Amino acid sequence: MAKNNAGQKMISGVLAALGVIFLAYALIMDFSGSGSSLRGPALIIGAVLFLIGIFTFPTIKYHKKIVNIVFLFPLLFCFAVTVIIPLCLGFFYSTTDWNGIRMTQFVGLSNYAAMFKEPGFLWSVLLTILFVVFNMVLVNVVAFCLALLCTSRIKGVGFFRAAYFLPNLIGGIVLGYVWQFVFNNVLLSFTSKAFGMNSSLLSNTPTAFMAIIVVYIWQYAGYIMLLYVTGLTQVPGDVLEASAIDGATGWQTLIHIRMPMIASTFTICTFMTLTSAFKQFDVNMALTNGTGSINFMGNYLTNGTQMLALNIYNTAITKNNYAMGQAKAVVFFILLACVSIIQVRVSNKKEVEM
Amino acid sequence: MKKRVFSILLCMAMAAGLTACGGGDTKSESAKSEAAEGGSESGGAASGAIRLVNGKIEVDEQLKKLAKMYEEETGVAVEIESMGGGIDIQGTLKGYYQADNMPDIFVNGGDTDFGNWKGLLVDMSDQAWAADTDAAYVNDEGTLGFPYTTEAIGLAYNKSILDACDIDPATLTTPDAIEKAFETIDSKKDELGVTAVVGYYTEPVNLYWSTGNHVFANYIDAGLDRDDTTYIDMLNDGGQVDDARLTEFAAFIGLLNKYADQELLVSGTYDQQILNFSSGKYAFVTQGSWIGATMTVDDADAYAEAGNFECGMVPYAFTEGADTILTNSPSWWAVYDGDNKAAALEFLQWMSEDKAQQVLVEEAGFVSPFKSCTYVANDPFAQTISDYVAAGKTSGWHWLGMKEGLAQNYTGQVFCDYAQGKMDQTQFVDTLKQVIQSAYAG
Amino acid sequence: MKTKLKTSTLVILMVVAIAVTIYTLSPFFLVLINVFKNANGIVANPVGFEGMSFSQLTTNLSKVINNSNFSFWSAFGTSAVITIISLVLLALFGGMASWVISRNMAKHNTKKWAVVIYMTFIASMTIPFQVVMLPLISTFRDVGKFVGLPLLQSIPGIVFAYMGFGGAMTVFVLTGFIKGIPFALEEAASIDGCPHEGIYFRIILPMLKPPLTTVTILNGMWIWNDYLLPSLMLGQNGKVKTLPVAVQAFVGSYVKQWDLILTAALLAMIPMIILFFFAQKQIMGGMVDGAVK
Repeated sequence: MAKNNAGQKMISGVLAALGVIFLAYALIMDFSGSGSSLRGPALIIGAVLFLIGIFTFPTIKYHKKIVNIVFLFPLLFCFAVTVIIPLCLGFFYSTTDWNGIRMTQFVGLSNYAAMFKEPGFLWSVLLTILFVVFNMVLVNVVAFCLALLCTSRIKGVGFFRAAYFLPNLIGGIVLGYVWQFVFNNVLLSFTSKAFGMNSSLLSNTPTAFMAIIVVYIWQYAGYIMLLYVTGLTQVPGDVLEASAIDGATGWQTLIHIRMPMIASTFTICTFMTLTSAFKQFDVNMALTNGTGSINFMGNYLTNGTQMLALNIYNTAITKNNYAMGQAKAVVFFILLACVSIIQVRVSNKKEVEM
Repeated sequence: MKKRVFSILLCMAMAAGLTACGGGDTKSESAKSEAAEGGSESGGAASGAIRLVNGKIEVDEQLKKLAKMYEEETGVAVEIESMGGGIDIQGTLKGYYQADNMPDIFVNGGDTDFGNWKGLLVDMSDQAWAADTDAAYVNDEGTLGFPYTTEAIGLAYNKSILDACDIDPATLTTPDAIEKAFETIDSKKDELGVTAVVGYYTEPVNLYWSTGNHVFANYIDAGLDRDDTTYIDMLNDGGQVDDARLTEFAAFIGLLNKYADQELLVSGTYDQQILNFSSGKYAFVTQGSWIGATMTVDDADAYAEAGNFECGMVPYAFTEGADTILTNSPSWWAVYDGDNKAAALEFLQWMSEDKAQQVLVEEAGFVSPFKSCTYVANDPFAQTISDYVAAGKTSGWHWLGMKEGLAQNYTGQVFCDYAQGKMDQTQFVDTLKQVIQSAYAG
Repeated sequence: MKTKLKTSTLVILMVVAIAVTIYTLSPFFLVLINVFKNANGIVANPVGFEGMSFSQLTTNLSKVINNSNFSFWSAFGTSAVITIISLVLLALFGGMASWVISRNMAKHNTKKWAVVIYMTFIASMTIPFQVVMLPLISTFRDVGKFVGLPLLQSIPGIVFAYMGFGGAMTVFVLTGFIKGIPFALEEAASIDGCPHEGIYFRIILPMLKPPLTTVTILNGMWIWNDYLLPSLMLGQNGKVKTLPVAVQAFVGSYVKQWDLILTAALLAMIPMIILFFFAQKQIMGGMVDGAVK
């Protein structure tokens, strides 16, 4: 065993050392500005060799710690590079004149000041809030009703659940185009015959907004319904039996027993509809791409159905104003964080009271 | 021992994972993506192959044929990468640039696009083809753009309908004459079996480019000399417009609204617009010469049923003297100043010569911008374009120099609102002014 | 819930359920009938069955599949490769990380660093993608250039990003589950001489099947359908495209032909629907578990 250990030590030591050499080689090449195509692979091979080396190093004292580090490293590394670093950079860039590639100077909070003078942006904020409110209410009401339907004693409940859930499987981009077809071609061919309407629902801002809500409910209610179904089926049967014995009607049972008992499901569902409605992007982009005219604050705006996420995207990518887009994104983040915190607080309180 | 073997195996698995996630093995990666390409290019991208990013998806097939011809003739492979017009091609190219993955030849639409590549393109003024055309893109850096076709923006008409109403298209060069012609056709709609006088569509999500770019282009250029930049310069100077000219333009748009197909004016699609024109349901259509290809291929049956009528173009004569149609190469091919530029230049020269031109004209339906080219496209609009060019009645395409996204994010919607009757002529002018200014301010 | 309903009420409920089903499925139905028509047939009559023919379906399919903007097989392959590799790596590394975090947050043995890592992951779940997307691209570009690895426009790069973004949810679900596994099991194994890493792979991992199914389904649905991240990282019409990006690239072309767009939409929907058909219970169950936990 001891001999074996020594050999093991040798091998892992060599591996770790090789790893360090590779890493050093790659880093030297990086910093010296060499264009060698070997430096990328060298970096990775080096890192992997080093990790293997220390991982196989036969030590009882530190082995647990090493395993912990090796186990945590891959995910944490990806997480830091894709989330933490960009987040910090994002806050930083929003106070500069960043153009997506480089920055030349600090502009302080002037991006933030400018965005609140931009009617188009304010409209997007307002519209997003409206959209969130409408959806939070409508999706939950529709989903709850569907859940009641799907837990009643009608036949084929399993099929209905699956059917209502189906739209949630398809990505927003594809759905958006399918619905654009439904609104612009199918519905229009009916309405123009019936009422002589020449414009589809998507051509007017208020109706286009309604259309987005309809599509969103169509897509999302099935999922939320599943959560309510789970909640409702977990209400213990004896409680319901007791209430039936007491002579409560179905309606009374629903209001006084079943709904309070699934209060936590309500919290989860409101939270989920809230955040996902806030982040709505794909359907918005594919369905109207934010078009639509609106008179707002004395200005004629052409982004009548553009919600915040799309506004940020357009500001940065289409209009090439990265710093401003980033500043708007930061505001978006703060808004979302505040709303989420308030929402969780309120629902927690309610749950306790109930 | 067993556990050691196990842990080594585990490490190997992790190593494989890390390598995959870090993108270590670039070689196998590129092989993978090539395999995923569908294997249209045999042998993949051998170094030395010329890569061309094409912006006209419609002619993808013909370009690939030319690429094959060129490879057979010279042994140099050419890869064609086609992108549709609604895609942010410049954005994609910028991505390529940042990823150090630039194509050797790529499409550029105008001043704004060429401006993105300042100092990175090859001056081609010494090339033989440059002396053979007037349509190359030239700026202060030299001849940067290779023209590949000629497209025209004008009010396309169906000659058999005009004939039936005794209207001579050659007289339609003033606002009054056009209005009278519209009236005449409108009064005879039923007996002619025509749905509407003009197929003018304003749907803002998918057709903004028609109104916001092509129709609006006439405000910028109609009636002007090819190099006259008066109105585009005003526009690019903080979004100024000429009130008088814009008001006349608005009146003309009002005319289009009035005589348009009311059912499809607001929400119609491009397909419907071209199909209805091909079927002889409209006397005029507000699309340019590029619809010829759709009429003779996708809508061939409907077009044949309507008698394969003769087509032509009249100017958007919204003001006295606006008697030109706007012709241009819709975009140009530029050569990236990289390792492969010599091969790319040779390929472009070959493209301007007889064999390639025959394919481009006869199969892709292009109107050749090269003087030495003798082929005539079998395109409904080829003749009318040649006539205008011969008469010197063409203007430029300075709308290409408008601020990026102006039509998509701003003006397209205003045309639609005007069409819906949400605003009158004065409001249309005021609103256009306002949104253009805010676009240039943003 | 076992309240007795009158037959008449049941009939009404049934009618409502069927009506909602018709409404829910109608867009799919419209796609299905219109892919059998040519563009003119769709324009003329988007609802009826006239003009449908199998030969038209094959024409549409071949046009779409061979379209160089859409390139279905390549996009499908890319989407599948990205999704599968991301899911496997997320399950592997996510499970490992969750175990370490969870075991170092146990009541008798709480380590500060584990709590910090855990809380960071949880807090990061409220971060909207928009706030990191722009710096993310520039970071990837700069890092990629610096170390000589193409992180943008490459499959490994995007897999890396999905591991970063999917990490939080994965850790959240898995740590919740691992907490419930009694510690005594591990101690016993440790006394038997099982190395530390072996405890995870031999004892914990086999028990993680249910939560791993959940995270795989949640992550899978998200990665497969995601548009914004791949469109930014791979370009809107780059060489490497995922299915949603390909659909957008295809529809974005100047000529708007519904026959082809609907066919493309159908092709993009089919894989998910087939999967749902076979794994309906798991998918629906996984989606619920992920939300409720």
